[in-house]
Amino acid sequence: MSAPALETVGLGKSYGRRWALTDCTLSIPAGHVVGLVGPNGAGKTTLLHLAVGLLRPSAGTIAVLGETPHDDPAALARIGFLAQDSPAYSRLTVAQHLQMGAWLNPSWDAGFANARVVDLGFDVRQRAGSLSGGQRAQLALTLAVAKRPELLLLDEPVASLDPLARREFLQTLMEVVAEHGVSVVMSSHLIADLERVCDYLVVLVSGQVALTGDVETLLASHHRLVGPRRDDLSMPANQSVIEASHVGKQSTLLVRTDDPILDPAWSVTPVNLDDVVLAYMRQARDGAAAAAPGLAVAR
Amino acid sequence: MIEFHLDPASGVATYVQLVQQVHQALQLGLLEPGDRLPTAQQVVALLAINPNTVLKAYRDLEREGLVRARPGLGTFVVGTLPRTDPVSQARFRRSMASWLRSARAAGLGPQEIEAIYRTALRDCFSEDVA
Amino acid sequence: MTRFAWLQARTQTLSIAGALAILAVAAAVTGIHLSHLYDNLVASCLASHNPCGAATDQFLSHDTFLQDAFTLLMRLAPGLLGIFWGAPLLTREFESGTFRLAWTQSVSRSRWLVTRLAMSGLVVVLIAGLLSLTVTWWYRSIDLAGTNRYDVFDARDIAPIGYTVFAFALGAFLGAVIRRTVPAMAATLVGFVAVRVAFIEWVRPHLLSPLHLTTSLLNADRFGFGSNNGSDVMMIARGAAPDNAWQLSSHLVTNTGRTLTPAANTAFLQQHCSAISFPPPAPRGGGRVLAKLPDANAFEACRAQAARLFHLSVTYQPAGRYWTFQWLETGLFVLLAVAALAGCYWWVTKRAS
Repeated sequence: MSAPALETVGLGKSYGRRWALTDCTLSIPAGHVVGLVGPNGAGKTTLLHLAVGLLRPSAGTIAVLGETPHDDPAALARIGFLAQDSPAYSRLTVAQHLQMGAWLNPSWDAGFANARVVDLGFDVRQRAGSLSGGQRAQLALTLAVAKRPELLLLDEPVASLDPLARREFLQTLMEVVAEHGVSVVMSSHLIADLERVCDYLVVLVSGQVALTGDVETLLASHHRLVGPRRDDLSMPANQSVIEASHVGKQSTLLVRTDDPILDPAWSVTPVNLDDVVLAYMRQARDGAAAAAPGLAVAR
Repeated sequence: MIEFHLDPASGVATYVQLVQQVHQALQLGLLEPGDRLPTAQQVVALLAINPNTVLKAYRDLEREGLVRARPGLGTFVVGTLPRTDPVSQARFRRSMASWLRSARAAGLGPQEIEAIYRTALRDCFSEDVA
Repeated sequence: MTRFAWLQARTQTLSIAGALAILAVAAAVTGIHLSHLYDNLVASCLASHNPCGAATDQFLSHDTFLQDAFTLLMRLAPGLLGIFWGAPLLTREFESGTFRLAWTQSVSRSRWLVTRLAMSGLVVVLIAGLLSLTVTWWYRSIDLAGTNRYDVFDARDIAPIGYTVFAFALGAFLGAVIRRTVPAMAATLVGFVAVRVAFIEWVRPHLLSPLHLTTSLLNADRFGFGSNNGSDVMMIARGAAPDNAWQLSSHLVTNTGRTLTPAANTAFLQQHCSAISFPPPAPRGGGRVLAKLPDANAFEACRAQAARLFHLSVTYQPAGRYWTFQWLETGLFVLLAVAALAGCYWWVTKRAS
C-alpha cells in the first residue's frame, strides 16, 4: 500500500491575522489525477505551496508521498511542481533550462527531456522570454516531468492559455500520466478544465475543504430530485439534502445518498460534476456567511 | 484502427461513449477481429482524458467478450456484433416516417415528438436492464 | 549548482569584464605615457638636486581630465558594483517568480543561496580588485610626485575592495527582505552611503590612537587675525603635521597644555596687541573679515609675543600607518559584509516561508 499522494491533518496557514487555510484534513490516494477546485482566494495555491515546501504550515501537518518536502532535496526529487504562470528565466534559452534541470536534479531523464522538446517543436536556442504562454507552460511541464517524479503538482496550469494551448497541454499531461503512471494534483478555478481529466476531486472554499472524493462515486451518490413543492424537507436518515430551492409549485433538491430514491413523488435526474461542485461551493460560502459574527439575518 | 471522439455535452459518461463507439465500429464493419485498438496513451494524447477512463472502457469491452488484452502487445478485437442490415434499417425508417407524418398531422410539434420519443426509448431499453 | 550559478552570472560578468578590459588598455596607454613624463620632468629634476616645485606642478597639470575621471570612477565604482550586483541577485528571482522554479528543483534552499552568493561575490571581488589595481597603478607616478595618500584613501589600494564587498552583501540582504529590485537598490544605496559616511566621520579617526606634536607659533602653517560676523578679533593659527600625514586637528594651547578658549584668545589680543584688536567695520555679508593691520611690525611683534605664551598642538596619524589603516578599514567592511550575508542567509532559509 503506497503512501497517500497528499495527506494533511488539521493543516492551517496564516499570514498575519488572515488564515488562508483552516483546519484542512485530506488524504488523497496516489494513482489519480486530482482536481483541486475552488474560487479565487480559496487557498488552492497556498495548499500547493505547502505541499511543495515553499511554505511552512502555521498549524497542523502535511505529508507528501509520506515525507515533508520543506527544504528536503530527497523529497523534492519525487515531486514535480509547476507554479502559476509557468515562471521561467527569460534570458536563458530552452536548452539552458534543460541544462538547469540536469544539473539540479539527480533523477533527470535527459533523453526524455530532449525528445519532448523536439516533439513540441521548440527552437532550443530560443530565449524563454520570447516564448508564448502555452510554450512556457509546456516547457515548465517538461522540466517538471523529466525529473521522473512520482507526483506532479500543477498550480492553475491552463488558466491563462488560449483554448488550443490548453487542449495541447492537457493532451501532453495525460500522455505522461498514461506512460509513467504519475499522480497529478491540478488546481483550477474552472471546473470545465478538470472534468475531462480528473478522477478525484477536492473542493476548497474560503480556506476549508468543502468536498473531497472519487469523481465516479460522487456522481453516483448525488441526485437531483424534482417534485411538487415541499417545504418540510425531512428525508430518510441515509439521505442528506445538500441544496434545496423552491420556486412556485416546484421544489428542486440536490441529495447525497448511496441508496435508491424510493419516494415516488420525486423524479430523479442525473447531475453532472458542475452541479455538484457548485452546490457545495454555495453551501460553504453561505455557511461561512452565517457563521460570521455580528450579522443579523432577516427572515 | 479506430479514432475516438468525445462529446462532452452529451451527458453520457466518457467511458460509455468509447464503448459505444467500438460497438458502432463493429456493427458498421470498420473493426474486425484481429484489429488492434489504440493504446490508452494514444487515446489520451488525442482526447485529453484520464487514462483510467480508457482502461475502464476496454475492461468493459473485454467483459462483453468483444476484445482481449494481450500484455505487452495491446488490446485486440476478438468478437463481433450483429451487423445492422441496411434493408431492415430502411424498413424501420419508412415506418417511422409514416408515424411522424401522422403525429404532425395531429398537431404535435418537433419538441413534443422528441419528448415522446426519448421517454419511449428510455422505457424500452430500461426494461432490459437486469 | 555551481555551474548553474555561473550560467546565471555569466552575461553580466562578461560585460563588466569587457568594460574593465577596455579601461585597462586605456589606463595602460596613458599610464605609461605619464610614467615617461614623470621621468623626464620630475625624476631628472630630483636627480639634479635642484628645487623641483615648478617641474612637479608642470607634471601634475597633465591629463587632469583623466585624473578627475579616474578619481570619480573609484569613488563611485564600489557602491555601483555592489548595488547592481547584490540587490538584483535575489529580487529578480522574486519579481519574476523564478524562485518557485529554483526552490522546487532537487537542491536545498541553503545550497542554492550560498552557491549564488559565492559565485557573484567572488566575481564582484575580482572586478573590484582588478579595477583598484589598475587605477592605483595608473596613479603611481602622480602619487609619487606628491600626493598625501590619506587624501585619496578611499580610491586606492585595497579599501575599495572592502567597500564593494560590503555594498554587495548589503544589496543581497536588502534584496532578500524587500524583494523588489528598484526599492532594494535604492535602500542599498542609502544604507551604503550612510555606513561609509559614518565610518569616515566616527570610526576611521579612532581606529588607532593618533600621535601628537607641539610646535611653536613661529612655525605655524598659517597665522593671522580675523573675526566672524562682527565679533571680536581673534588669532587664527594652524599647525602642520609631518609630510603626508593625516592631520586630525590643530589647536592653540597655553603653556600648560590647555586649549585656548576664544575668550582668552580675544583677551590676549586686547591686552598685548592693541594695535590689532579693534573692531573692524561690520561686514555686510558676514563671514570672516581679516583685520586691517597698521603695519608689518605690529604683526610680527604680536606673533612673537603670542609665541611666548601659546603654541600649537597638532593631532595626526603618520604616513607610515597608511597601510595599517587600509587593512583595518578593509577588514572591518568585510566583517560588516559577513554580517549582512549571514542576515541574508537567515532571512532566506528561515523566514521566507
